[in-house]
Amino acid sequence: MSRPVAVVGVGQTKHGARRSDHSIPGLVREAVDRALLDAGLEHADIDAVVVGKAPDMLEGIAQPEQFLVGALGGHMKPVLRVHTAGSVGASTAITAAVHVQSGLYDRVLTVAFEKQSEGNAMWALSPSMPFTPPLVAGAGGFFAPYCRAYIRKTAAPMHIGPMIAANARENAGRNEYAHLTEPMTVEDVMNSPMLWDPIRYLETCPSSDGAVALIVANEAQARKGPRKPAWIKGAASYAEAMWVPGRDQVSPRAGKVCARHVYDKAGIRNPWTDIQTAEIYVPFSWFEAMWLENLGFCAEGEGWKAVDRGDQKFGRHLPVNPSGGVLCTNPIGASGMLRLGEAALQVMGRAGAHQVENVRHALGHAYGGGAQYFAMWVVGAEP
Amino acid sequence: MTTKLRNVAVVGFAQLPVVARDEHRMATEMLYPVVREALAQVGVERDAIDYQVSASTDYMDGRPFGFVAALDVMGSWPPRQDLHLEMDGAFAAYYAWLKIQTGEVDTAMVATHGKVSEGEPDRVFNLQLEPYYHAAIGLDPTSTSALQASAFMARTGTTDADLARVAARSRAAGTRNPDAQLREAASAESLQRTPFKVRPLRDGYLPPIGETATCLVLAAEGKAETLCDRPAWIHGTHHISELQTIGARDLTRSASARLAAEKALAMAGLASAREVDLVELLATNPVEEFILLDALGLEARSGGGSGPAINPSGGPLCAHPIMSTGSIRLGEAFRQLAGRAGERQVAKAARAIAHGAQGHCLQQNVVFVLGTERRWS
Repeated sequence: MSRPVAVVGVGQTKHGARRSDHSIPGLVREAVDRALLDAGLEHADIDAVVVGKAPDMLEGIAQPEQFLVGALGGHMKPVLRVHTAGSVGASTAITAAVHVQSGLYDRVLTVAFEKQSEGNAMWALSPSMPFTPPLVAGAGGFFAPYCRAYIRKTAAPMHIGPMIAANARENAGRNEYAHLTEPMTVEDVMNSPMLWDPIRYLETCPSSDGAVALIVANEAQARKGPRKPAWIKGAASYAEAMWVPGRDQVSPRAGKVCARHVYDKAGIRNPWTDIQTAEIYVPFSWFEAMWLENLGFCAEGEGWKAVDRGDQKFGRHLPVNPSGGVLCTNPIGASGMLRLGEAALQVMGRAGAHQVENVRHALGHAYGGGAQYFAMWVVGAEP
Repeated sequence: MTTKLRNVAVVGFAQLPVVARDEHRMATEMLYPVVREALAQVGVERDAIDYQVSASTDYMDGRPFGFVAALDVMGSWPPRQDLHLEMDGAFAAYYAWLKIQTGEVDTAMVATHGKVSEGEPDRVFNLQLEPYYHAAIGLDPTSTSALQASAFMARTGTTDADLARVAARSRAAGTRNPDAQLREAASAESLQRTPFKVRPLRDGYLPPIGETATCLVLAAEGKAETLCDRPAWIHGTHHISELQTIGARDLTRSASARLAAEKALAMAGLASAREVDLVELLATNPVEEFILLDALGLEARSGGGSGPAINPSGGPLCAHPIMSTGSIRLGEAFRQLAGRAGERQVAKAARAIAHGAQGHCLQQNVVFVLGTERRWS
């Protein structure tokens, strides 16, 4: 980026199936307070607030950022609300970075949340489109054919998805904020009920309550401390049309273009060697193998082989989702920002028990829509 | 201001005439022709636009991810740098301007849609309210506006007749706007005889809710001149939110509109809003207009007098397509400065203010100051 921009504070809630100890404002505030504390800043230091969440039907409140202005510390400040489907958490953080990059804002608070226990995700995520038969199968029903297409295209063996799911759960065991942490084996996953072929119950993301907040700031603030910042080396959000004949839904062009844009900005020539860890958006197990290819970590058809070798496990070549990722924690609107925030924590060296060694560059990634929206950033330990 | 800003202009604007209900088209079918028309105005194909922002709200669309369908008609192939804001288009335009300030993109398209006739806005926007106490008692945008109007009238002594005169002025202006939904003049006396929707707001003081789609094109200096013979340069802009909590605000004033206006005017290098030739305000009733004029430091006027023309398009009282109403204010300011405002053209318009708002009782406000000349050399 032309003007250096950094993440200087990260805060997230303990995620869970039902945070009944908190109202929505309380949940959001838990993350905001932690981010401010982390950055050593007060609300008065914040110039603008950028909020993101997935469809408002999830909680049944239209444009809830309006009633949350107080909890967000947004009173008498610019407040923008982003919504780009599943990628929203990531595109929201990137929108905050654009504020600082413009030179008009020095310190921006960005927040994403979802309190799924207040609604019904299956209903909220089953859009009724004109001239299209309603699927009423939620996101899993929508994406299962994409996974099936990947398996068919690459001849991946059926244990790959379960391996990914079991590994994610093992990773989540090292993350104090994760929702699902109970250990499980590949066999457990394979014995769990099939929900949407080829996706089984234990290969599916949960519905979570949770929030995350980041403070994005200019160079002067980042150098002031109190902590080592995560420098945003490249960030972008891209989207592509749905009804394009021949559109590759398994490895969408928007994902490739977005990754290329971000890598070019960040000076990443070979992501497999130049990036030390990646937090990528994997709501259903197979997507980990799919995105390894789409993001250029592996050649086409090779993603599942990296998984089969265990290259993406914690402590191996490229730990993917060391936090446990979306498969273990999924407050939908926040899930993308959690990926970007976790990537920031990794380059800051503050990821706790799931810290990957010697991280110079980390990727944070999210996608949404019918695999149409992509938003990602590469953060670095140096500006 | 230590940051060197780029001169950025509105170079194109297209909308469909606002109607209560477009029986024959769904939202994307309405959006497609305006995207095409906006591109035709600037004489380029979609590939020449670097960035796109869409603005809409799922709840008004009546389904999750309503905006995803807009990607297709916005020409999102090959993939585009993109963002969607769950906000009125005027806020999306602010963000497009901000994105251009980074220097990473030079041109942007801002599209809005909303098939308002498929829902019941008063019921839908009840759901914007704080869910535990406010939404539950059944408040809606009309009733919260009525609370605001009562408070304002009590504080200032503004009368029912004053409201009627503002509404009549808007209605007269609307007759000159082919894109307006209400194009019949109405006298203050007749409007004052319309029944109360929610006291003190009468049917005649409330906007017709309609639907449309809009598309703005913004461009930075260097590109703007090649896309438009008379760009409307953005001299200053800012937006501010305040608490929603109705009981915690002075409803008779808009602190957020005032601060947004102060910042936008300062960026524009203007001492006062009186220095502009026209203002287009997203005022959904006469009291909101009074409050916004006060925030801008302008005198309330029902017609004639000196000072900038107020809502020469007829404003939201003649057409209020939710989510697009703010975009239209910016589009109208562009049309005025570009000399494309037809019968409603303000003579020698060189500077304009466009205002957008959303949320109950003017919770969030965005202000643009525009001019026919570049702001920064």
